[in-house]
Amino acid sequence: MHKIYEYPKSREYFARAAAVIPSGIYGHQGPAEGCYIPVEAFPLFSERAEGTYFWDVDGNRFIDYMCAYGPNVLGYNDPDVDAAAAAQRKKGDCVTAPSTKMIEFAELLVDTVASADWAFFAKNGNDVTTLSIMAARAYTRRKKIVFFKGYYHGVSPWTQKIDYPGIIEEDVANNIYIPWNDVSAFEQAIAENPGQIAAVISQPYMHGNFKDNELPAESFWKKIRKLCTDNGIVLVIDDVRAGFRLDLAGSDHYYGFEADLICFCKAIANGYNVSALCGKDFLKSTVSGMTYTGSYWLSAVPFAAGIACITKMRELDLPRLLLEKGLKLKEGLIAAGKKHGFDLHVSGEPALFYLRIADDDTLMLHQEWIAECVKRGVFFTNHHNHFLNYALSDGDIAETVSIADEAFAVVANRRG
Amino acid sequence: MIDNRAKAFINMFAVLGTVTRLCELDKEAQALIADSNISIGFAVKNGPSGTLRFNNGKASIERGASDCTIRLPFGSCERFNGMVDGTVTPFPSKGFTKIGFLMKRFTKLTDILTKYLRPEPEALDDEDFFRISTTLMFHVIIEAIAQIGNEDAVGRQSASYIDDGIAKLSIGSDVSAGLKAENHRLTAIHEEPDSFTSYMTFADMKLARQLFDGKVNAVACVGTGLLRIGGLVPQVDNISRILDRVALYLA
Repeated sequence: MHKIYEYPKSREYFARAAAVIPSGIYGHQGPAEGCYIPVEAFPLFSERAEGTYFWDVDGNRFIDYMCAYGPNVLGYNDPDVDAAAAAQRKKGDCVTAPSTKMIEFAELLVDTVASADWAFFAKNGNDVTTLSIMAARAYTRRKKIVFFKGYYHGVSPWTQKIDYPGIIEEDVANNIYIPWNDVSAFEQAIAENPGQIAAVISQPYMHGNFKDNELPAESFWKKIRKLCTDNGIVLVIDDVRAGFRLDLAGSDHYYGFEADLICFCKAIANGYNVSALCGKDFLKSTVSGMTYTGSYWLSAVPFAAGIACITKMRELDLPRLLLEKGLKLKEGLIAAGKKHGFDLHVSGEPALFYLRIADDDTLMLHQEWIAECVKRGVFFTNHHNHFLNYALSDGDIAETVSIADEAFAVVANRRG
Repeated sequence: MIDNRAKAFINMFAVLGTVTRLCELDKEAQALIADSNISIGFAVKNGPSGTLRFNNGKASIERGASDCTIRLPFGSCERFNGMVDGTVTPFPSKGFTKIGFLMKRFTKLTDILTKYLRPEPEALDDEDFFRISTTLMFHVIIEAIAQIGNEDAVGRQSASYIDDGIAKLSIGSDVSAGLKAENHRLTAIHEEPDSFTSYMTFADMKLARQLFDGKVNAVACVGTGLLRIGGLVPQVDNISRILDRVALYLA
């Protein structure tokens, strides 16, 4: 039997937070968007992190399958990345004239990412997805953008839906939404909006929330690529979530095509705050002329961390390792579910697996099981794809499967 | 932006429709219809039509205005909304002999309803008044969500993301209702649904009141555990987005 965690200090801190911070913890790491069901099953604040674990403020240790929602790709506090960052910090970080680390980092990305002829740096994924759309519009002098339903491309107004607080009709007036994997819908959108579509933006595969993740259909990307080329539409790949976990050369490379623009963040620097837009040469001049910057965008420490992170991922051939870990975990979890009569679906790419117990379409059973896992020290979410990192060991996978097994047993007993 | 047609649907089925529950919860309202056997049809050009029926001490509302004893035609949604707001006086096309009910008892019923839906702050100090007021407001909001999801352009966008199923909304164990989604059309269920695919539970009447009055935010309440959500969360998430628009129409 595994220890059942309790979170009295998390609750105390949350009460303090709620007094001075809107909703206590806002965004995807908060209890509402994070789908903490029930909220009592989840830790709310961390004390420290190391490798594949984090410890909450109550001293509970978690095997972390969210990896800070992606950035932790080598393990928290990776010594090589942290050493590179520390060395740069001694020299300087946010300085009037940028460090040449910026050039080194751009050169490394151009050398690593198959479709990259240049790199532009910012801080968050949203910064570069927004830049990609602005660049596509500036280059094509067109307004409309095609999205695949179930997308997530950040939080700027153009990415949101018309019914979100603070969004006005004009923010999304030029958005066209089509179903994932539907080439004919894209053809129809082009036909209905001749010469008006600036870009299509998409994640490399559909890793939307609350639903089994869906890989691209056979020849889907090849057809989309051709339609974009034939119709002067910029093809933007939002690789913020999946980037570097499937293929260091980019997820477009993994699926056998080339994006015109590709957005990276999360795994690019193992938690140091930097994002990048990489692109084809024909868009470089357009981006050169754009007014787009931020106070900390050229800080050198994250560049040094990014260089160390990508270098290490290349040395390790990390995507191959993450695939192996993901397949091992998937096999163990499915078997544990089967043992207790549950049909656990594991979808998406193994390095970013999505879980769903398929025996109950309402997800309530799944939410119960996830809560029991979290209370025993495996941090899963019930709504979002997960993330693997290099520090996850075979022992961690075995412990995860053991906890998942116990959680399945608890839920099976409860449901009779 | 408010759509007058959507507002007419809300006024018809959420506001006037709540007269039916008023007659269950308020003794004065019950007494007013105790011996009434009458129906009022509201026919709105290019808008909704509905009939409030009073029979053997019970009130009900149904769609359509062809089978009624008093018929009130309205040339536009704006005119109908004006009647609900008290700025337009309706004139019946049928049922002149029953006009006394309309002018006296029905007017009194709507006055009582207004007292509960737009209460004086001090009135809420009375526990019983507070319970009835909050319960009625809950049902108004549930029905308004359905009408906005079906009739308001932005609401329809929200409803387009709601998969088929029933969302259960409740205030503790005091009151429950459901919103049924079928092909992205919403129907309010003004009683506890037998089964449901998602849920949103307010801890108690006090919290529900604060949420309805816009004094606290639902997202913040999830963190404190005062608001529980679960199941097909996108259902209740998109319902919450429609809920945001309810205040726009009922302000």
